[in-house]
Amino acid sequence: MVLHFWAYQRGQVMNSVKKVKKRNINNVAYLFVLPFVIVFLVFNVYPVLRTLQLSFTSYKGYGKIDYIGFANYIRVLKDKFFWRALGNTANIWGVNIIVQLGLALLLTIVFNDIKYRIKGLSIFRAIFYLPNLIATTSVAFLFKTLMDWRFGTFNQLLIKLGLIDTPVDWLGSTKTAPYVISMIGAWMWFGNSFILLMAGVQGISRDYFEAATIDGAGRWKIFTKITMPLLRPILLYVTVTSAIGGIQMFDIPFLVSGGTMGNPSGKLQTAIMYLYKFGFETYQVGYASAVAYIIFLIILVVSILQFRLYTRKEDR
Amino acid sequence: MKLKKVVSLILALTLCLSLAACGKNDTSTNAKNDTKKDTTQSTKGNEDNADGTSSAELSGRLVVWTLANDLKDFADRFMEKHPGVEVETIVIAPADYPTKVQSALLGGAKEPDIIVGEPQMLPDMFDAGFFEDLNQAPYNAQDYADKIVDYVWKVGQDENGIQRAISYQITPAGIFYRRDIAKEVFGTEDPEEIGKLFKDYNTIIETGKKLKEHGYRIFASDGEMNYFSGDTPWVVDGKLNVDQARYDYMDLCIELYQKDLTAFASQWSSPWYQAMAGEVPILTADTNVWDEEELAKASENAEKTEVFAFGLPSWGVLIMRDNYGETAGKWGICAGPAYGFGGGTYIGISSNSERKELAWEFVKFCTLNDETLEWWIEFSEGDIVSYIPVLEKYADYENPMYGNQKTYAFWLKQAEGIDYSKVTRYDKVIGDAWGAAITAIKTGQMSREEAINQFYDTVQSTYPELIIER
Repeated sequence: MVLHFWAYQRGQVMNSVKKVKKRNINNVAYLFVLPFVIVFLVFNVYPVLRTLQLSFTSYKGYGKIDYIGFANYIRVLKDKFFWRALGNTANIWGVNIIVQLGLALLLTIVFNDIKYRIKGLSIFRAIFYLPNLIATTSVAFLFKTLMDWRFGTFNQLLIKLGLIDTPVDWLGSTKTAPYVISMIGAWMWFGNSFILLMAGVQGISRDYFEAATIDGAGRWKIFTKITMPLLRPILLYVTVTSAIGGIQMFDIPFLVSGGTMGNPSGKLQTAIMYLYKFGFETYQVGYASAVAYIIFLIILVVSILQFRLYTRKEDR
Repeated sequence: MKLKKVVSLILALTLCLSLAACGKNDTSTNAKNDTKKDTTQSTKGNEDNADGTSSAELSGRLVVWTLANDLKDFADRFMEKHPGVEVETIVIAPADYPTKVQSALLGGAKEPDIIVGEPQMLPDMFDAGFFEDLNQAPYNAQDYADKIVDYVWKVGQDENGIQRAISYQITPAGIFYRRDIAKEVFGTEDPEEIGKLFKDYNTIIETGKKLKEHGYRIFASDGEMNYFSGDTPWVVDGKLNVDQARYDYMDLCIELYQKDLTAFASQWSSPWYQAMAGEVPILTADTNVWDEEELAKASENAEKTEVFAFGLPSWGVLIMRDNYGETAGKWGICAGPAYGFGGGTYIGISSNSERKELAWEFVKFCTLNDETLEWWIEFSEGDIVSYIPVLEKYADYENPMYGNQKTYAFWLKQAEGIDYSKVTRYDKVIGDAWGAAITAIKTGQMSREEAINQFYDTVQSTYPELIIER
């Protein structure tokens, strides 16, 4: 009994020592995360809350702050140019993601072909990723020069090859300019998607592919029945991040069109260029904040929809 | 074990503190430096001479944020004259300038000490309180009012008539033309006679056609008459105002473009600057400008052109000086189809500055100093200053870079027609929207009616407070 009591007492003491130790360790750990928390609060949480506050005001970036309720939000939703900018963004991003993912998928299939193993994957991977490392300003300038109506190399090349007779105003025509931006985006980002998809495919056991080949499955069957279903999480990640980035598209169209008007005829004005025009050119900071929140809500809805779409497919 | 814990605690604390310390340390060091500088700056016997120069020996540091390289030249000159002063000049593109100043000053930054603005930027910057009140002591700017051209003085005032900025220049617009081409095509290079070739938009088209017949192009871009366009402000009493002169300008741009009378360069693009230096290729579909051999061959076959004229304000002399290359000395300046003007750098002191006295010395040095402004006229090859004593002195100045033309007398005459009441805070966005409408029509993207409607819609969307009557 005594022994038992002693053992019980010892157990209790040990437990409380453990608890004390645990608590101390936790406190020290808080200090380690403190720098991040401070940075997060100052640079993330504060601007987000401040923007929300300003979206209900007519603040001009200076002077006093007058609250005007939901007037800014109503103005955004009623403005056809906001919807046009959003449509332009969807148009440019839509074509971009099809080309970008299509190209990345094609290359993934080629590089993973079980029969024709292509050597030098790491070199190709680096080459494909290179456009991503060039500064966006340089990319914009490069394409502006290449695609120039009268000076551009691209037109000269097409004329030399006999594909066109007269130069095409790629960046000045409403029919072509948005898709030039899409192609620039695809060119810049397909390497990134390729690396992610390759990592995804390499994570799939080779046994599946070998078994399928032995069972007589062709390339298309293997791709649709094995590769694609198992790649779904990676595809979800790539499309969600690309959609978020796409809705926030700004630098390339801004630099190529040379301002927030998004010429030709406003076809290159994206949602963020619209926001920038009000926030930084006309100092309607309150209105620009409301635009920012509406864009944020749109990104949220798009992301949720994409998650739903992919998880449902997975459930089946 | 204990030691490990202590070490990790110290490390974590250092990490946290270093974050907070970064900003704090900076400001405290800055403040310390500033106090140190403030005590050393400028004020040994701060008595002003009649011409605005200070007899004091100046020392200290100044930070200038400006829009172009001109203030950099002024700053170098200032340091030359006052070896004890160090001026750091940062040039920021006009499109980004107001935002950068706004972020810095609203964030409480003590630097820059000197800020500037173009006329259309000033109303917002004055409203925001970025510019120091120069009427108060020790500046007493009103004492110099009669030394500066009247309209420049007024543009530097806020809506309560308080002086907040002063410009060293006036900016009437004119047409810079090639004398050699004028002589060849029109038989004269006299500015009066050449001015008649630009007297109205119809004549400009005729002049353009004649030049084209001789293998030249009248302009590099179709926007060269922009500085002369519009008789009245874009906004009058809260109402959008599109006068007939705006429509006439639109028609001119469309005609110049569609009749191939220009070299198809965009203003401020590399080919546009290149056209100041001489030949540019006529860019037809079958000329590969990237193939040197082919380009040379094309040049032999006369598939090239030279541009006759550029429409620019008086500060265009600086642009010309930096770009005319081999065509130096071949230029003249004549009047455009109307009185025009554009830009102008207005210099003031940041209300946050802790070195205001030294900053005021710099402002006076750039705007109210005979010696500086005479030097500037020579250095800039004929920029036109706003300081009346020097203006009068140079009234008969013959500019050797422009065939000994009396450019000062010419610009002064053009300046008589400057009407700065045309400048509004809406000019940039409305001007851009009008430009977009012109481009849409001339390239055939939209019908005239569609493009003009889109223009009205854009203005309405951007400034809902404006009344728009279509």
